[in-house]
Amino acid sequence: MSATTISFIIGILFGAALYLGGLANPDKIVGTLRLKDFHAMRTIAVFVLVGMLGTWILQLIGHANMDVKPAEVLPVLIGGALLGIGFGLTGYCPGTGLACVAAGRFDALITVIGMFFGALAYIYIIPTISKPLASVMNYDKTTLPEKTGINAAVFVIPLVVIGVLLLWLTRPGSKSTTVKPI
Amino acid sequence: MSNERVEKSPLPWWLAGLLLGGVQILAVAISKPLGVSTQFVVVDTLALKQSSPEYVAQHPVIGSEKYQKLGGGFWLDVGLVAGAFIATLVIGRWRLQATTAWWRANRNGKAAVGARLLTGFIGGFLILLGARLAHGCTSGQFASGWAQLSVAAIPFTITLFGFGMLAARIMYPKTPDIEA
Repeated sequence: MSATTISFIIGILFGAALYLGGLANPDKIVGTLRLKDFHAMRTIAVFVLVGMLGTWILQLIGHANMDVKPAEVLPVLIGGALLGIGFGLTGYCPGTGLACVAAGRFDALITVIGMFFGALAYIYIIPTISKPLASVMNYDKTTLPEKTGINAAVFVIPLVVIGVLLLWLTRPGSKSTTVKPI
Repeated sequence: MSNERVEKSPLPWWLAGLLLGGVQILAVAISKPLGVSTQFVVVDTLALKQSSPEYVAQHPVIGSEKYQKLGGGFWLDVGLVAGAFIATLVIGRWRLQATTAWWRANRNGKAAVGARLLTGFIGGFLILLGARLAHGCTSGQFASGWAQLSVAAIPFTITLFGFGMLAARIMYPKTPDIEA
């Protein structure tokens, strides 16, 4: 199979999982950001923890294809804030926005059109602002194990164990918590 | 207004998370970590190349070859749309709609749909501008960032969710019914 075909198939699986998992649903995202509906938060937590555990194991056996993004702290903070505002206003992000267009949401289509204009704005402003933004607190493409010299296991194992424990203790329907069953 | 209802997710959270995590593992094993937002810049670059090829050629970012061809990342996004579409058809939930339950619980009347679309456009603009400044979105920088223990994921997570919660708080003060 060509790399293009592989990417296309991964995309199909990702789009289907985003929709069936309830993340490609702006109501679920807004509910989580408002701390009223914990479905999306729990789904995202499992998604991240499983991905972290799997990526670590793949690295141990030498089969991980890594793509770490540059840790330019200032643009990452500003970009995260702008993305966060759009995320909170609409309940969409780039992946779930595309998936929601496919699900028949017209507002998602308008949001995706806005995204193309946002990308255009990025193209026009980045030559002017990239150098000053990236000149402070720039750690480049680095991971926590590389940066600290601590073995990845020391991050992955406690994060996964604590995460699973917290998800278990706060599970919907659990008598030991006051969390509403979602 | 309080009778607006948020439908239950097709899959429970743990299965949803396991599936998404499984897709991430597959992607890291045979391709590269999941990421979506770069392709918006690629498509814009290809359009700009038609009207002003000199501008594109001398640009510090989109001048590079990576932004001037439709590669695997583009086909991942196309697959994403196709996969979501197939999933909605399979479970019979494909529906033409322009607002959301949270939106209707907070805004009603004739202007509500127009306001939702305008908010969508502005939100979409901020989402992609922010994602590219941050070198990735909720997929590439957050989910894939944490999967790889990337340093950049830490500041990104703080402002993404901090400002996300703030914006949602301002935009959606009233809560609809949420199906358990």
